[in-house]
Amino acid sequence: MTEYSNKGLLPAGLRDGLPPQAEWEARVTERLLEGFARHGYQRVKPPLIEFEETLLAASGAPLASQMFRLMDPISQRMMGVRPDITLQVARIAETRLKDQPRPLRLSYAGQVLRVRGSQLRPERQFAQAGIELIGVATLAADLEAVLLAAVALVELGVPNPSIDLTQPMLVPALCRGLGFDAARAEAARTALDHKDAASLAAVAGEAAPLLLGLLAAAGPASPVMAVLKGLALPPEARAMVAELGRLVEEVQAAAPDLALTVDAGEYRGFEYHTGISFTLFARGVRGELGRGGRYLSGGEEPATGLTLYLDSLLRALPAPEAPRLVFLPAGTPRAAGRKLRAAGHRTLQGLDPVADVRAEARRLACSHMFRDGEIEEVDRK
Amino acid sequence: MQTSNEPLVIALPKGRILDEVMPLIRRAGIEPEPAFDDPGSRLLRFATNHPHISIVRVRSFDVATFVAFGAAQIGVAGNDVLLEFDYAEVYAPLDLGIGRCRLMVAEPAELRRTDDPGRWSHVRVATKYPGVTQRYFAARGVQAECIKLNGAMELAPSLGLCRRIVDLVSTGATLKANGLVEVETIAHVTSRLVVNRAALKTRPAEVGGWIRRFQEVLDAA
Repeated sequence: MTEYSNKGLLPAGLRDGLPPQAEWEARVTERLLEGFARHGYQRVKPPLIEFEETLLAASGAPLASQMFRLMDPISQRMMGVRPDITLQVARIAETRLKDQPRPLRLSYAGQVLRVRGSQLRPERQFAQAGIELIGVATLAADLEAVLLAAVALVELGVPNPSIDLTQPMLVPALCRGLGFDAARAEAARTALDHKDAASLAAVAGEAAPLLLGLLAAAGPASPVMAVLKGLALPPEARAMVAELGRLVEEVQAAAPDLALTVDAGEYRGFEYHTGISFTLFARGVRGELGRGGRYLSGGEEPATGLTLYLDSLLRALPAPEAPRLVFLPAGTPRAAGRKLRAAGHRTLQGLDPVADVRAEARRLACSHMFRDGEIEEVDRK
Repeated sequence: MQTSNEPLVIALPKGRILDEVMPLIRRAGIEPEPAFDDPGSRLLRFATNHPHISIVRVRSFDVATFVAFGAAQIGVAGNDVLLEFDYAEVYAPLDLGIGRCRLMVAEPAELRRTDDPGRWSHVRVATKYPGVTQRYFAARGVQAECIKLNGAMELAPSLGLCRRIVDLVSTGATLKANGLVEVETIAHVTSRLVVNRAALKTRPAEVGGWIRRFQEVLDAA
């Protein structure tokens, strides 16, 4: 064996999930999907790998540089490991489920693999869970996705969640309205993404007051919407702001306790979105818990999606309580063990007789032990 | 201003810029504990007159990293550092207008007399900013081979490490003293107030309040 294989060194960005985290991630994933199912979302399971060109079709292009590729020895065609699941669900909707009535509600969960981690998420493999609401491009669909996200975070018990709404089409529309050429529009967009007031002012020229106003339009929803409505926006951008305002009102009416913020100038990371989008945060947790928004499925059919990132989500959740685990000393009647398990206990069967049952239970990290027909607590220390 | 009792950490760059930053911090109503101004103090984190706000003093490059990872919610960093890292999680909402300098390409005066930058296809450059340097040259079709140094870039050409450097220039005196001249400007640099993205999203009233407070301080100056 080599030095590396001895020590189990893994490639950068890949890791082993160990107890109890591995089970915790699976349980949180299942709870998310159960929540989606309660809202009528049906689960799909796309494959881990598929042909490169189908993964990259339509809105997949921005992920091209993030995709692991391998040659299919059978078809001799290039395959890609999915860097994201949304696009696969969109593909399912437009092919195999194209005759299903719209709106089509699908959910999914699975692992994705990326060539490079990001600064905040060095992991190259991580789990996603989410939904796609396909075939409609209405405010009602946006509202459903945002509320589903809010419900998911609340039901999981994420402390202090907040949702940030954005309209990634607003800045491009504004740049068009102002007559910016492509290079200038991109410079303005980059500056807005960094909320870099100095660079933005330099790019904007005469439009500086307007663009700086947009940059400042980030924060608690109601005051920001008031600021946005006060800006002298071109007609196309004004209509987008009005739509965003309606969504804010509807979300606030439906979920008055939700911490809702608006950031009108955000674009980065929403390149394939075509309408109102949102990002999920939790106070004190670095990075995003998830994001969603409106896009074109297969480049044609409107859809709204929501994706949660399990790794950040788990960071946001309080650590799970260790489950009760009852040690059954060797010789415990099988029926007694069955009864305990039927009552919802987890049991751990001792295989050989031991002198000190309590010490053995402690050694195997059991919280309880079964003796004389009774469950007794074991001090784990 | 709405405040919470959650800790708020402000990361400030050590060194020259700090003298220019502190008056702004104080005018915004944040007064660090006396040990902050004591050169003999070994403290790294300082309490302030606001019970939940503390200040950390770190290297200028590390300010951006602390803020990007949310270890500090607010910081002061030059846009040279922001350009180098291009952190998506760092917002730079205010130009503080201090620490003015330029990020420059420089080479020996002697070389400059015959050199035509328009003919470059490959350059070897000593710099503290390999990221910016590579992107800058790539954008103009030149492949840049960067030698990462952490200081005294000006020495590199005279000792034959490479012929060109990319470094910050404020007065140009150091360049001149080492027989170097400016070739091209990559960026004009000033210090920016930076904030962590997630902190601004999840504590919008508080973090946004501090941004406005600093804006008022700048407007009043």
